Amino acid sequence: MDVEVRVFGGLENLIPGARFGQDIPLEVQEGCSVGLLLNRLAIPQEKVFNMLVNGCHVTADAILKKGDRISLFPAIGGG
Amino acid sequence: MLTEKQRARYERQIILDEIGEEGQQRLASGKVLVIGAGGLGSVSALYMAAGGVGTIGIVDDQVVELSNLQRQILHNTDRIGTLKTTSAKLTLSALNPDISIDTYNVRLDEENAAQIISGYDIVVSALDNQETRYVVNSACVSLRKPLVEGAVRGFSGLLMTILPGKGPCYCCIFPKSSCDPYLTGLIGPIPVFTTTPGIIGILQAQEVFKLLLKTGTPLVKEMLIYDGLTSSFYHQEVKRMPGCSCCGSLN
Repeated sequence: MDVEVRVFGGLENLIPGARFGQDIPLEVQEGCSVGLLLNRLAIPQEKVFNMLVNGCHVTADAILKKGDRISLFPAIGGG
Repeated sequence: MLTEKQRARYERQIILDEIGEEGQQRLASGKVLVIGAGGLGSVSALYMAAGGVGTIGIVDDQVVELSNLQRQILHNTDRIGTLKTTSAKLTLSALNPDISIDTYNVRLDEENAAQIISGYDIVVSALDNQETRYVVNSACVSLRKPLVEGAVRGFSGLLMTILPGKGPCYCCIFPKSSCDPYLTGLIGPIPVFTTTPGIIGILQAQEVFKLLLKTGTPLVKEMLIYDGLTSSFYHQEVKRMPGCSCCGSLN
């Protein structure tokens, strides 16, 4: 099934060819979790401060559905 | 009623249809609390002062350090060692003597947050740490105060406006449990490029102006994310978390 991933704040540097905020179309297997998606993208989970699926906060065990839009953020906490 | 001096000072925005004298008076009646007089707070407070927000409260318990000056433009070299609140008041009052500047030389915590925040219409979160962000969010949700949240790292920044009960709060998007492992491993200062807090801080001020003027559309239910390396902005839809420990009971 197809999903879309967007990465922000430097996480794009961990994925060859990825660009800040740009959609990365991916095909994943039914039952794929957000954590498995991170593994597939070779993003260490400790680098990800926050994960959203369709605008809702999720944890790594959240199961993805067809068409989901996943957004991944590092810690952006300075001021 | 605006004075002649005020009419002259704000002339270029009073002639805007969205503002006029009535809007300018609304700004003059506005009370905004800026929590943190660092990079974000410097720019948001400067523009709110320039634009005529009548009362600006500044909360910070630190003194100006040399390493602040690369981005915290409320302060200057002569003020190294001075309380940031004192420095902020000097700068803002010099820019606009018509407005009131309240200063709170404290670190906001669960004991004092509600008392300080309750005296203001809108809160600007211009913090450099997560712990206080949660305190501010919780107090704003309890008091139903609009909160303009901003954060930066390196060349990136984000902001969102929180209207408690009408969109997600900070905890809906960044629940405490999700961040502890990473933040405890975060060692050393957070890298921040010189202009990044300026860009996010000015957008925080813009959110405040829209709310006070009741014009435009605030960034509620969406987060604006900035990439300084491509000068690009991205909108990210954000939703309330059902059962959020902070705002879940609000309608």
